[in-house]
Amino acid sequence: MGSFFTAMGDVLSNEVTFAGAVRFAALLAFCACGETIAERAGTLNISVEGMILGGAFAGACGYHVTGSVSIGLVCASASGFLIALIHANLSHRLAANTFVVGLALNILVLGMSAFLANYVKPSTRAAHKFGIPVLDDIPLVGQAFFYQPWPLYLIYPLIPFSWWLLYRTRWGLEIRAVGENPQSADVSGIDVNKRRRQGVYLSGLTSGLGGGYLILGQIGRFDDAMVGGQGFIAIAAVIFGGWTFRGAIAGCLLFGAVNSFRLSLPALGHEANPEFLSALPFLVTILTMMLFAHRTRQPTALAQPFIRGLK
Amino acid sequence: MTITNDLEVEESRSVSPSDRQTLASGAGFTVLLYFGCFFGAVTLSAALVQATGGSATEVFGALLDGSVRARGRWGQTLGISVPLILVGLGTVFSGRAGLINIGQEGQLYFGSAVACYAALRLGDSAGWTEVFPGPLVLIFCLVAGALGGAFWAGIAGALRYWRRVPEVLTTLLLVTVAAQVVGYGLRKDWLLAVPRDGSKAAWRNISTAQLPPDQRMPRIEVFGNSFPISVVIVLAITAVVTVVLTRSVWGFRLRMLGLNSRTAHRAGVAESRYGMVAIFISGGFAGLAGAMMLTGGDFGNYHLTPGFSVNIGFDGLLVALVARQMPIVVVPTALVFAGLRTGSGFLAATGVEREITKIVQAMLVLALLIPPAILFVRDRRRAMTATKSRT
Amino acid sequence: MSLTAGTAESAVPAVEFRGVNKRFGAIVACDDVDLVLHRGRIHGILGENGAGKSTLMKVLIGLVPRDSGTLFVDGIPVVISDPLDAARYGIGMVHQHFSLVEPLTVWENVMLGDEGRFDPLEIRRRIGEISERYGLGIESEAVVADLPVGLRQRVEIIKCLRRDPDIIIFDEPTSVLTPAESEQLFDVLRQAVQEENRAVALVSHKLNEVLGATDEITIMRSGRVVDRVETREADAPGLARSMVGREVSLRSSGAALGLVVKLIDKTGVEDAAVSEYEGNPVLTLTDLVVHSNDRKNALDTLSLDVHAGEIVGVAGVEGNGQEELTALMSSLVEAVSGSVSVDGRVVETGVAGSMARAGVAVVPADRHDSGVVLNLTVAENLFLVEPEKVSRRGLWDSGLMTRRASELISEFEIQAAGPDAPLWSLSGGNQQRVVLARELSNNPKVLIASQPTRGLDVGAIEYISNRLRGARRDGVGVLLISNELEEILDLADRIVVLFRGKIVGEMLRSDVDLEHLGMLMGGAIDDLVENSY
Repeated sequence: MGSFFTAMGDVLSNEVTFAGAVRFAALLAFCACGETIAERAGTLNISVEGMILGGAFAGACGYHVTGSVSIGLVCASASGFLIALIHANLSHRLAANTFVVGLALNILVLGMSAFLANYVKPSTRAAHKFGIPVLDDIPLVGQAFFYQPWPLYLIYPLIPFSWWLLYRTRWGLEIRAVGENPQSADVSGIDVNKRRRQGVYLSGLTSGLGGGYLILGQIGRFDDAMVGGQGFIAIAAVIFGGWTFRGAIAGCLLFGAVNSFRLSLPALGHEANPEFLSALPFLVTILTMMLFAHRTRQPTALAQPFIRGLK
Repeated sequence: MTITNDLEVEESRSVSPSDRQTLASGAGFTVLLYFGCFFGAVTLSAALVQATGGSATEVFGALLDGSVRARGRWGQTLGISVPLILVGLGTVFSGRAGLINIGQEGQLYFGSAVACYAALRLGDSAGWTEVFPGPLVLIFCLVAGALGGAFWAGIAGALRYWRRVPEVLTTLLLVTVAAQVVGYGLRKDWLLAVPRDGSKAAWRNISTAQLPPDQRMPRIEVFGNSFPISVVIVLAITAVVTVVLTRSVWGFRLRMLGLNSRTAHRAGVAESRYGMVAIFISGGFAGLAGAMMLTGGDFGNYHLTPGFSVNIGFDGLLVALVARQMPIVVVPTALVFAGLRTGSGFLAATGVEREITKIVQAMLVLALLIPPAILFVRDRRRAMTATKSRT
Repeated sequence: MSLTAGTAESAVPAVEFRGVNKRFGAIVACDDVDLVLHRGRIHGILGENGAGKSTLMKVLIGLVPRDSGTLFVDGIPVVISDPLDAARYGIGMVHQHFSLVEPLTVWENVMLGDEGRFDPLEIRRRIGEISERYGLGIESEAVVADLPVGLRQRVEIIKCLRRDPDIIIFDEPTSVLTPAESEQLFDVLRQAVQEENRAVALVSHKLNEVLGATDEITIMRSGRVVDRVETREADAPGLARSMVGREVSLRSSGAALGLVVKLIDKTGVEDAAVSEYEGNPVLTLTDLVVHSNDRKNALDTLSLDVHAGEIVGVAGVEGNGQEELTALMSSLVEAVSGSVSVDGRVVETGVAGSMARAGVAVVPADRHDSGVVLNLTVAENLFLVEPEKVSRRGLWDSGLMTRRASELISEFEIQAAGPDAPLWSLSGGNQQRVVLARELSNNPKVLIASQPTRGLDVGAIEYISNRLRGARRDGVGVLLISNELEEILDLADRIVVLFRGKIVGEMLRSDVDLEHLGMLMGGAIDDLVENSY
């Protein structure tokens, strides 16, 4: 037992752990920003996983062709948007089952990126780190938050921007209305399905960007298994956070920390069951949802399609 | 939390008295729509192949060869279709109850591990193979697999009904957890691993012992094709499932639950009870599929290895989705998907990556979502105009 | 838009419909409608449910496009394609089923659907202004979900008035108000109309409402305009005749027409109320406490009983616990405390099917929510509570099912393509008959009928009312829950008033005091009741 506490102490006092936590959390946060809005509008978008992967692949290609990380990121976001385009129109224009659409898109993106990667063989490397002066000297967490590959810094303005979008604009008000009571919103003159599509588009843009960050800011090399379920963990973070940004980001940090933790432990020389560690992020996700899901209030019309005139 | 599943759209397409009405009107348009979308998907895939330097006709030919034409292949395809049909059928159960189970891969893998444990450990150590005839142990092994899968799915079900955690997330997260749990089991002597003498084996060589001959599924040999009798068993199961789902009162109550849980509750269908049974069955079928994969021999030659489930769980889920949750349509759909799988084995010669089959599968699902969506909106609009203003 | 100065007889009407047509497939909703709304007048548009008046107003407000004909606003022909267009032309509507989003605040709701800059401060200021001018008393920061239903309508009114419309449409406004609140509403209308020279259209199916609040009345029937009268020259029988198209006995159909039946002499009518009952009640509710999603104590120590062969009417404005009471009797919610007994035996609450098994039949207010399954067939819906009756050894006996279904279809006069028709293809009234057929055919001991005739035309209303009386004759204990006082006064033997989850008053039909009833609905507590419950 004593060794357990020393292990804990080692991990928690290690700067690398925190840096890793922030890196993992950042990917989740990119997705959570858009997904929170999509879910507030009423769509449970499970194609986030595919959007990340698609974004990663497109980012890799963009970088491969132009050598510029920025262009890579733009391509990544665009690819996420493209996937969102398909998803949104099948779900909220044609009233197809949104879970089936999301699932099929995930598999399609997986297949296509694996297939095309063999054909295109993009070569990439991660962007260089650069630190923000003064802030990166804060003990323990300074390096974690302020000395990272620069694509990560994009998340810092994205979070408040998303918040502003949802709570301080007319568009955001309509998004929230559409997710709570689409019939009332419709009668008030709002195009319900259009707003829902736009919510999904936003999710695609940010999740795609997250994928670009993943490859160009974190890992540096494309592999079709690189997402590994993190899209779903991001969705769990949104639910854990009760569909607020504050809560969702807290969830992202928590899950990111667990991911980092499980890597740090063996890296610092502590013995632990490897399967347990690999499963840990998923177990923690399930556990937190078990504890918190039933207390939060979901958007009333979440996952209920809207067709005018039909209740 | 409650997530209302829009499987209502699916349901209105299932074969039942409700639909003779709708199918009769505009049947021609419907068929055209489905064919059009099907060909659209196939054409897009062909275009992708051409665009990346392959030849679509070559690919098509290779797929046909690998799935049915070459010697012994259609037997293979049949063998592969067994778990796909089972998973597909199981998914229909959970779908009818309004549940979104996407974790069949994990339920299958876990089920196959439990079946393997039952066959190897319990059979041997209890000396059952001496007291009981081989077939009984085989049946026991299948049952164990089903129970394992049911248990794994049940975790997600319990979390949904007692903690309002959406099963679409938990079933999927549990897939990775299952992989880790079984992986652990494969490393440990007291669970599944073959006792070794000292040296640490590389991961890819890890496997369990081979199932003894009397714990394997008997095989049928026809015209040079060999497939396990599980094929016949599964067809029988399909018939039973079809009757239960479409003609029994219990199946009706399950459908009611998925369509309108509140009306169902008033009518005596307790959501958690029926839902748990549905998800147990769904997981059970997946686990049974895993056990049949193990004892059938077409996967891994009667060994359980890491990654044993080879995406059969996910494919089975897709089968159910493409089959629009209709039990009868599951069989031909599973055969097509099995054909894609066995056919892809012959793709190496054409230089086209195997992933193309995954792309074709996903495109088929997406393409086949469009006709029902269009028909649904059209039918509802028609009904609304007929009932508007007259009460 | 600036207000055109003018008297009620100004040459240019505020709104004119000329030859407006609207069809939905084979059904004609609006047939060559000519209608004129003048400023400074309250114009009543009267017609039974299904007459086309709602569709006509939806055309005006932009929710439904017209097929042909012209629409004039202040003499200029216009095309209105969505509610925002309508707002630009100065047309606003106060909806019957609200257009509010409950979790949002008042100011967020009022601002919903507008164009232009997002300016919460301006909106809040405006809300305060309007609230004061019309005496509405609404706080802009309040969350709509916390407001009682009567106040929610005021938010609707503010939402409409803030765009300063010249033309206001009120769609069936009094269904959620107590009589006193209705009076207040009509005062607001008068003020808007006379002092500010707006045009107001009051759409309603209730005779007394239209007679009491309007200056002129247009009657619609089957999509056509059939008559136009000045209110001061109109009388109830004449209006009823125009509405329904035949001689109507106000005695038997008065309630369906929205006439308070107390005013009509009921002596000598069959099925007169009985005031004495022997034996124990067939349904007893004791001190029930039920929480709902939005509210604690949606039912607050509610006690009530119903005897066999009696119709007990639960009067009260929507939002005082009616939904929760129906849900409780449908086994959809669990009681926190208190008990329900049917025929002397306690029934567990919240357990799936327990009420149904105990012999409780329910016709819910929202059949799509808990009454029917739209995607199943008529036959399947008829037997979904007791499929055992048409099955053998766990499997459907389709021959038996089709036969029994056909019997029920003809007995209850359900219009459908056949027993295998999907339920969504039936009209609302026919769907309601399916529910009634199913519930009554199981020989229930108790029947809970919640808003049973809402949205139905006179013929359907009469049919359902007769069925309820028939159930009473057969010895069923009927609990009628309704917002429409007319319906309760017509059918009930005994009337109780539900307010904030409690029964606050009770009276026999024969000694009804309308004023007292109205007060109880609004919250005054009856001393006698206090002591006996």
